[in-house]
Amino acid sequence: MVEAFAVASGKGGTGKTTSTLALGMALAEEYDVTVIDADTGMANLLFHAGLDDADVTLHDLLIADRDAAVEDAVYDRFGMSVVPCGTSLTAFEAADPKRLRDVVAELAAGTDVLLLDSPAALGSKSAVLPIVLADRIVVVLQPTVPSLSDGLKVQEYAHSYGTETAGVVFNRVRDDEDVDQIADQAGRYFGGQTLASVPESDAVRAARRSGEPLLAHAPDDPAADAFREAAARLDVRDGDEHDVAERFRSAVVPERV
Amino acid sequence: MRIPRGALLRSRVVDDPGDALAEVLDEGLTGYVVFEPQDALLLGESTRGIVTFEDGIPVLAYDTERDEGGRDGLEGFAVTGPHRVAVHAVDADDLAEAHETEAFRVSPGEPARVLAGDERLSDRTLDAAPESRRDEGRDQSALEAFLSDQEAIEQIQSEARAEAQARAEEWGLESALADDDEQLPGRDEADDVAHGGTRY
Repeated sequence: MVEAFAVASGKGGTGKTTSTLALGMALAEEYDVTVIDADTGMANLLFHAGLDDADVTLHDLLIADRDAAVEDAVYDRFGMSVVPCGTSLTAFEAADPKRLRDVVAELAAGTDVLLLDSPAALGSKSAVLPIVLADRIVVVLQPTVPSLSDGLKVQEYAHSYGTETAGVVFNRVRDDEDVDQIADQAGRYFGGQTLASVPESDAVRAARRSGEPLLAHAPDDPAADAFREAAARLDVRDGDEHDVAERFRSAVVPERV
Repeated sequence: MRIPRGALLRSRVVDDPGDALAEVLDEGLTGYVVFEPQDALLLGESTRGIVTFEDGIPVLAYDTERDEGGRDGLEGFAVTGPHRVAVHAVDADDLAEAHETEAFRVSPGEPARVLAGDERLSDRTLDAAPESRRDEGRDQSALEAFLSDQEAIEQIQSEARAEAQARAEEWGLESALADDDEQLPGRDEADDVAHGGTRY
């Protein structure tokens, strides 16, 4: 079985990478989870997962003459398989997005849940690719007008490509904010369900500074609890891995980023 | 939008807009920085934006080409890659009037996030911002009002749909688009209501 989720927000700052790794770690209790940093232009998952010095990254798999094997870029970290992306702009420019499709197809064949940390933008072909390829999106929102507006936009893009919404995570919620009312209202416009309301937490920043996912750094923090709750509510569907891999392989992918 | 002309401190090309933001944060610039993405220039597009600063903390953002400010303005010149940045100093008193233009204001960490995708720099900027500026953009009643305005939300949705379709054609992704008549399980009845009963 495998289901591919793109963790998306439309724009940056909502804690998308933190959410991707937190959901990944929580889901890894039950499933075989692979997390891919599909934000090839502004990679930062490597910093969150203590992989700053990773020798081989997704970039190496996307550049024709690098000749790296997919498994070389897969790192076992915190109970998950993590595929970080490098931060070099030159590598980003040399990357061939068609290869992302094949890399994802290969990874899909050996895992239960694929989480694609998606770019915080919709302005380029490579940026929309994860939401085109994924089965469903998880939308990470902050309870602010710009964030909800961006979230609605990314959802419309996803739906245009037939990618539905699995659920919404309200992240970085402050003590004085009552998200229940907002979630009710937002539920009229967002597909799926509200997966969790994750409180703003200093532990998130501390985790990032120490290069560990939140659930490893502060497993008892209320934010970590909320992410576990979100993962528990996510109904992972058991797509046939061959079908999913085939879908990735046959996906139409632009020639250039 | 009128920003008083400042004294040019330096103008150069940086690999990433985050470099310039980090620099002016460290030096505590009061003034503005003009950002010109170089890749856009190569493509024959004219893209240019201005971010103003008070003591190194971003205050306003303005897309000079599309005449849009605030977060929308910022997005207009958010392009990955090298930028020409021109750093100007302006007297704080001269900037005060422009800084009252609410619609053009951005929260302190937003330029680092949107222009550079740099959460660390965004956090660092927020940490350095005065207390009074840290809660900007977090007005719950505004959020409730936004979500109650079904018409405005439908407009965002239909514009995003049209944009997604147009870009798919531009990018050669048309064949990946869902059929117009396809029933998407992610859309439930409430979605239909939100969409005025029409399906795209």
